[in-house]
Amino acid sequence: MSVSRRGFLQGRVLPFSGAFIAARGMEAYQADAAQGRGGGRSLVPPGVKEIRISSNENPLGPGHAVLDAILGRFPEANRYPFNSTPSDTALTAAIAAKFKIKPENIVLGGGSQELLKNAVRAFTSPARGLVTGSPSFENCPGTAKKLGRPIAEIKVDSAFRLDLDAMIAAAKGAGLVFFNNPNNPTATVHGARSVADFVARIRQSSPETVILIDEAYHDYVTDPSYRSAVPLALETPNVFVTRTFSKAYGMAGMRVGYAIGRAETMKPLEKLKMPFNISVFGVAAAIAALNDQKHIDAERDRNTRVRAFTLKALGEVGCKTADSQGNFLFVDVGRPAKEFRDACAKQGVVIGRDFPPFEKTHVRISIGTMEEMEKAVAVFKGALRPVSTSTGAQTEEA
Amino acid sequence: MALTRRGFVQTVGIGAAGALTSSWIGSRGRENDIWSLVEPSLHAVEPGLIVLASNENPIGPGAKVLEAVKAAFGEGGRAPGRYSNQSRDLIDAIARKQGVKPENIVLGCGSTQILRSATHLFTAKDKPLVATIPTYEECAGYAEMMGHPVRPVALAADFTIDLDKLADASKGAGLVFFCNPNNPTATYVGARSARDYFAKMNRESPDTTILVDEAYFDYVTGQDHDTHIPVAIENPRVIVARTFSKAYGMAGLRMGYAIGHKDTIKKMADWDGGSGTGSLNVLAMHAGTVAIEQDPSFTANERARNKAVRDFTMKWFADRGMPPTDSQANFMFVNIGRPAKEFREACLKKGVRVARDFPPFEKTHCRLSFGTMEEMQKAVAVFGEVLGKKAAAA
Repeated sequence: MSVSRRGFLQGRVLPFSGAFIAARGMEAYQADAAQGRGGGRSLVPPGVKEIRISSNENPLGPGHAVLDAILGRFPEANRYPFNSTPSDTALTAAIAAKFKIKPENIVLGGGSQELLKNAVRAFTSPARGLVTGSPSFENCPGTAKKLGRPIAEIKVDSAFRLDLDAMIAAAKGAGLVFFNNPNNPTATVHGARSVADFVARIRQSSPETVILIDEAYHDYVTDPSYRSAVPLALETPNVFVTRTFSKAYGMAGMRVGYAIGRAETMKPLEKLKMPFNISVFGVAAAIAALNDQKHIDAERDRNTRVRAFTLKALGEVGCKTADSQGNFLFVDVGRPAKEFRDACAKQGVVIGRDFPPFEKTHVRISIGTMEEMEKAVAVFKGALRPVSTSTGAQTEEA
Repeated sequence: MALTRRGFVQTVGIGAAGALTSSWIGSRGRENDIWSLVEPSLHAVEPGLIVLASNENPIGPGAKVLEAVKAAFGEGGRAPGRYSNQSRDLIDAIARKQGVKPENIVLGCGSTQILRSATHLFTAKDKPLVATIPTYEECAGYAEMMGHPVRPVALAADFTIDLDKLADASKGAGLVFFCNPNNPTATYVGARSARDYFAKMNRESPDTTILVDEAYFDYVTGQDHDTHIPVAIENPRVIVARTFSKAYGMAGLRMGYAIGHKDTIKKMADWDGGSGTGSLNVLAMHAGTVAIEQDPSFTANERARNKAVRDFTMKWFADRGMPPTDSQANFMFVNIGRPAKEFREACLKKGVRVARDFPPFEKTHCRLSFGTMEEMQKAVAVFGEVLGKKAAAA
């Protein structure tokens, strides 16, 4: 197993320490950078209306059912979540009902990030490391790095999909495999059969290894070969799925996520769970959101349309994009992401951070509203015109 | 003497109910877990139930703060869909209020996250946690979960912290959890005595960090009371934890913070700092910013309101031969001469919920949070009925 401790932050613009960013969260860094505070400089000129397509958020936010549910909990702002009506156990019950599972199959998290972090703490050790894609979501390797756990970063295949064979090989003796499906930032997905085969082969070659299948973007997938791994997790030891309300549910600001797996797999995560990790408003919002499937279906349709529009527009100017099954695109712009990002920011369009090892060629663009993407595409086209390299981009690049 | 949490409870001689001495404490959270043990069917607070169990502000955060929550919905209610960068504004607001720099502050999901981070960073297998018994259990529970030893220190006879005993036990410790006022006993240590203790620790055990939990700071009326924030920003071995869950009336929103020396704060932030992509929700960050910027009369009024209710309730008990400890908080600890469980169950049947067991005093003492005056007038009537009867129900 090729273990690399190469920092996942390597090559990123680092006005502060890498640890600072890792501690606060990638998207917060991005958000701060956009506003020119704390984490970095803003390149969006004052007075220019910002189009924020940098953090894979639902641009429309939650549905009215959710907002009403939050307003309805105002009288209980002073109560701990276990003293509120409904209490946090009611959210677990609502998730259990949705999946027809038991409460012991569920652990709630402050976003799925708490669960990812705790998975690394629970399932890796100095001897049993983490296996993750490269590029993939940075939370798990970020935590592993802080804890000094070995990290094997397995480069995606030529179609920008997680490289199943290479990850299986690396998983032998590993503590945890982080399998992001669809994968952030490449937006590619593996079908149900591939995932089942992947899990079976790791179970065979390394039965002690825990497999975390992060389905944060589940609700955006349109590929018919994809299916959720929740049933697989429920019938397979050492496998669990994470979900979040931060993406299609439009509640990134509310910090609610959950993990599903067999009770014995969930136990270490339950143990590490921070008490009272979800606010009274988050509990009520999530319960309301689970009961509003129409909102999710509408968001998927909307995203699919805007995604197709953006893909087509970028294709017309010669940019290749990995097959997107998320609410974001991984696009070959043929130049350093920083250069492209800075040029877009000057026009008010804020896109995703660097994703090594593709930071010299690719950018991640989240899907905003149709109106936003129409404007953004015009800005992209401008930024793609050949420019002189003397952009004054001295700066903090490592 | 190194002890696990189990030992922590048992050594001090407590025949606590078996279920309570298991590792429930580190896993889910105090109030939550205890109630699911005592009352597995608990899913909601029934209308009309008087909740005096969790040291909450019964009035809430006030209209200004709730308006800020509504405003945080943003245009078209879209803002909750975004990760938030509001943590920076909140940190700036706290810095202005407390007279410190932003680098002295780390946010947490309630002070729970702060207590956990400190325990995580400053205890180890050979660096015990020191805490009085009883006290708020988060640090001891987390240390136990990590397999780090916990050293319990008994309180003085009047239920105050015995600083000499604490200092002796603190030598060589990784972290001392110093809850002031102390939950559940409601007593406090005056500012000068506390500072003498910190200085002594710095001299005699310079590697020991002291976490001063000032959760109930705004409720104290004692004359020699003061915050230890000025000490903390200068001294890398002293951290102050604060929360919006108590006097600010925002327990449901989950917001707390630590103030300390910038190097200590950086360690905490690097390990597990609260942010808008981590543990902190956007509504709470907006609410917290408005809450801490509002006129100091908000907390002064809440302190005065609580004191009137506290005086009334404490007098009621004292008049009946049950003098409570000297409460400087929004709750009290009182010897009712019978098991807390028996009292709790009897009160609940009559519509009043009081707190969980606090070993080693669960056979005699009960913690009561203060509700509104109206609630307490109803509650004491219930207490009168329950305490007037011979203990037969259990």
